[in-house]
Amino acid sequence: MKNIASRTAMALLLAGLLLFGLLTFFIRYFIFSDDWFSHSHSSDGLSVERVLDRGGKVLYAPKSDQTYSKNAAVRRATVHLVGDTKGYIDPLMLRQYLPELAGFDKINGTYGMQSGTGVVELTVESSIQTVALQALGSRKGTVGVYNYRTGEILCAVTSPTFDPCDPPVVEDGDSRWDGLYLHRFFSAAYTPGSIFKLVTTAAALETIPDILDQHFTCTGSIKVNGEVIRCQGGKAHGEQTVKEALANSCNCAFAQIAQEVGPSVLQRKAEQIGVTQSLFVDGYRTRAGSFDLTGADKNRVAWAGIGQDVDLVNPCQYMTYMGAIASGGRAALPYLVRRVSSNGEERYRAEPQRSQIMITRDAAEVLTEFMHNNVVRMYAPVNFSDVKVCAKSGTAEVAGSNPTSTFAGFLDSEKYPLAFVVVVEEGGSGAASPVAAAVLRACINVMYAESK
Amino acid sequence: MMNVYLSIFTKLESLTVPPVWHTVLRICLPILAIVIVFRSARSLLGFRREPEVWAWLRLGADQLIPVTHWENVLGRKRTADIVLDFATVSKNHAVLTRRDDGGWTITDIGAKGRVEVNGNRVLNGSVSYGDVINLGGLEMRLEPVSKEEARLQSGARTKAGKGHSPGLTLVLLTLLQALLVFSFVINDAGPLARIFTSFAILAGVEWAFFIAQKLIHRSGFEVETIAFFLMSFGLAVAASSDPANLYKQLVSMGLGMVIFLIVGLCLRDLETAAKLRRVAAIAGVVLLAANLALGSRVNGSQNWIYLGGFSFQPSELVKVCFVLAGASTMDRIVTRRNLLLFVLYTAFIGACLVVMNDFGTATIFFLGFLAIALLRSSSYPSVALILAGVGMAAVMVVTVILAVKYFPYVRNRFAGYGHIWAYMNDKGYQQANSLICIASGGLFGLGAGCGWLKNVAAADTDLVFAFVCEEWGLLMAGTMIIALGALGLFVVRSAKVARSSFYTIGATAAISILLGQAILNFFGTVDFLPLTGVTFPFVSSGGSSMMCCWGLLAFIKACDTRQNASFAVKLSQKEAEKA
Repeated sequence: MKNIASRTAMALLLAGLLLFGLLTFFIRYFIFSDDWFSHSHSSDGLSVERVLDRGGKVLYAPKSDQTYSKNAAVRRATVHLVGDTKGYIDPLMLRQYLPELAGFDKINGTYGMQSGTGVVELTVESSIQTVALQALGSRKGTVGVYNYRTGEILCAVTSPTFDPCDPPVVEDGDSRWDGLYLHRFFSAAYTPGSIFKLVTTAAALETIPDILDQHFTCTGSIKVNGEVIRCQGGKAHGEQTVKEALANSCNCAFAQIAQEVGPSVLQRKAEQIGVTQSLFVDGYRTRAGSFDLTGADKNRVAWAGIGQDVDLVNPCQYMTYMGAIASGGRAALPYLVRRVSSNGEERYRAEPQRSQIMITRDAAEVLTEFMHNNVVRMYAPVNFSDVKVCAKSGTAEVAGSNPTSTFAGFLDSEKYPLAFVVVVEEGGSGAASPVAAAVLRACINVMYAESK
Repeated sequence: MMNVYLSIFTKLESLTVPPVWHTVLRICLPILAIVIVFRSARSLLGFRREPEVWAWLRLGADQLIPVTHWENVLGRKRTADIVLDFATVSKNHAVLTRRDDGGWTITDIGAKGRVEVNGNRVLNGSVSYGDVINLGGLEMRLEPVSKEEARLQSGARTKAGKGHSPGLTLVLLTLLQALLVFSFVINDAGPLARIFTSFAILAGVEWAFFIAQKLIHRSGFEVETIAFFLMSFGLAVAASSDPANLYKQLVSMGLGMVIFLIVGLCLRDLETAAKLRRVAAIAGVVLLAANLALGSRVNGSQNWIYLGGFSFQPSELVKVCFVLAGASTMDRIVTRRNLLLFVLYTAFIGACLVVMNDFGTATIFFLGFLAIALLRSSSYPSVALILAGVGMAAVMVVTVILAVKYFPYVRNRFAGYGHIWAYMNDKGYQQANSLICIASGGLFGLGAGCGWLKNVAAADTDLVFAFVCEEWGLLMAGTMIIALGALGLFVVRSAKVARSSFYTIGATAAISILLGQAILNFFGTVDFLPLTGVTFPFVSSGGSSMMCCWGLLAFIKACDTRQNASFAVKLSQKEAEKA
């Protein structure tokens, strides 16, 4: 009997497990319940009454007769941000605020809350959105602009897009609609091309003490590890400083700089900038890029430093790096939702958050100068007379199609602290800078009007 | 008369209640539930549990050994209840058993040396006070406990419910039930007349139970209180999700209580109970065979029988038979009698469940088997039982693999596990929506009938924890689990001092099954484990599972040896006279 009695511990174990499970669940409830709730049914319009742009224009009002903007161009330019009633697009950034929209709290759940009284104010401006979409035209790609001081995203456009009032019938394999329901700015990763030279240059400025005194010779091509790397069009740039090499976007010079920096430093720099990590934009996790030089030979290191190899960057993340250069090391993190209210009561207001340090202050200053030099010498469309623009273009080779045109940079301005990224798929060399010019001009106009 | 009764509820339906009442109700309900569970738990876990001396064994002139259990293994082994460290005594030599009538029996358990009483060899026979027992040459005399000692011990014994007033707890429970009905009234949810009537019947039955037990001088009512407490949740869930079937649920509760009484009364007398083992075992076989022959497949498991408009799951009732068949008295345990039969029996059940593809129930049986195997192999390293355990585990693993491979609904459950948000529109649908609804209910719930989860399949059975969370809050749902946990701890305490290993095994196996069900159900709902479709004891809707739970509860009741605690335990002669 004595012996048997001790074996009743089995029931003790089970009772313990049950009670321990309850305790664990209570703890999980207090940590994760708003997370759980944020998955609540999208079909009832996320408890949203209205979604407004930064100027207060209604973009989406699922409970009213006029569900979307009356302007078809605005509808097409914002559908990926606000979602649609048919459920093609789940507005992932808004979803993060579902608890606030529905008036959820951990003590009372949703008790006593009326559905459909939530108002969301976005940071984007619908007029800028339409300008950006128009500038992209029928080409696929994305445009993003944000204020690197506050983190507000003024523009986040993706193409192709559609009119939620008249959604297209998409057949499988129809390449016109590739990634139609995806917001490329947040959820795609591109081969960056030469805009990645801004990462290589930063690494060089930070780790090679005499880099500014060095000269790199370009004969139009260079052999690295037995394979040839060419400059665009086979053009020989002659002897150049780093500054000149960046302005010329000289592949031969950057192949040498990448070697001098070395794969481990380059890898560390890419990671420090956050190329390989996701950002959380209003809690939505952006697509992470990739950069992996483990076991790479010299040729691959050279290509990686130029922005080809296997590098991938996410446009939104790279825009943040532009902001970091502009602000001397760390930028504000981008966000899309400025304010959320429910039942007329404010439940959320965005507050600027800063990124990690991506680049040293000294390197950022030098790079700013270099990038402004690029604009003055090379990028006439964005060479504004009233604002100092700093930028770098890129042309990313994509197997089997026209190269992708990329353009990234910022305005070195107190009044207009904007950083931007433009990607035009199959755009060919130089296609992105005119898009950037049009969008930046629109942004400046809006900010000017707001400051009045 | 009926019309007057119904018109009251028509008036209630149009009643508008000031908002303050909502708030009061939301706060009072969980507080009341916590108080009820706390009172029951304190009473169940607070009793004194010292070893009592039932008789003495006198060795030689001056050595007195206390006999502290009803069943005592005598032997040289250190784990024996009465250690006799003499070379001629076997490791496990004999079992000395106290009978219900206060007399003693001694059984030879295959010792090398003989067992003699007053010089006559005994295999299994009575011993009276004063008799000389001879174990392999070692002589000892059985002596009674003096009247004075008996009086002292009896005084020290904790009378069940003493100082904890089970009656007051029951008053609180009735109040809780009234408030639950009120929560339907103020939210104007469902057919109020039917809901009120159902709760009134439940309250009436629980008071009748309580009073009947008082009349036969039993004062331990905490175990039943916990069951009634959980059933109140079950009735509230049924009222909210499926009011049309409220009376059906009440009927199965009633049937469950009838089974409770029958099993409990059978267990009163150890000899009767031991005889019933065989009947139970055969009943189990018949039920499962009937299931295999007549069963219909629902959700991939063939565990339902439909008979004239009624449906039931035989495998639920087999659980009760299984526990009864598995329980065993000490003399049998040590001699391994009927062990092989039990192993074969288990294997048969396992095989049937494999054919029926009922993975959840198989897990539950495995837990019950584990409890029985663990207890029965305690005094003898019983290789067969351990092997059977391994075999049953292997069968279960094979079942899972086969089920996952061939039955899409099982595969879906497993595919969604741990990734419910990625699969929230298909494989993880039930659990994802459970968590969403738990969150939206908050700590105090949205109110009776105000939940959304009822739209999800099996909300009132598999997901019942989330159902309660959404409508009455996480705090209330938490008390259901604490109540069951308290019952588990009570069994651990009381089973140790049970009259016979028969009751210890029965109660431990029964509570293991109940706790196992609660664990699988709760953990499944909140995505700690895959959903297995196992019901939450006493709360989930479903008649067969309700009857099973009450049947199992009888074993726990039979193990409650506190003074005057249980109708399933006879009063001692003297207590009866006093009464």
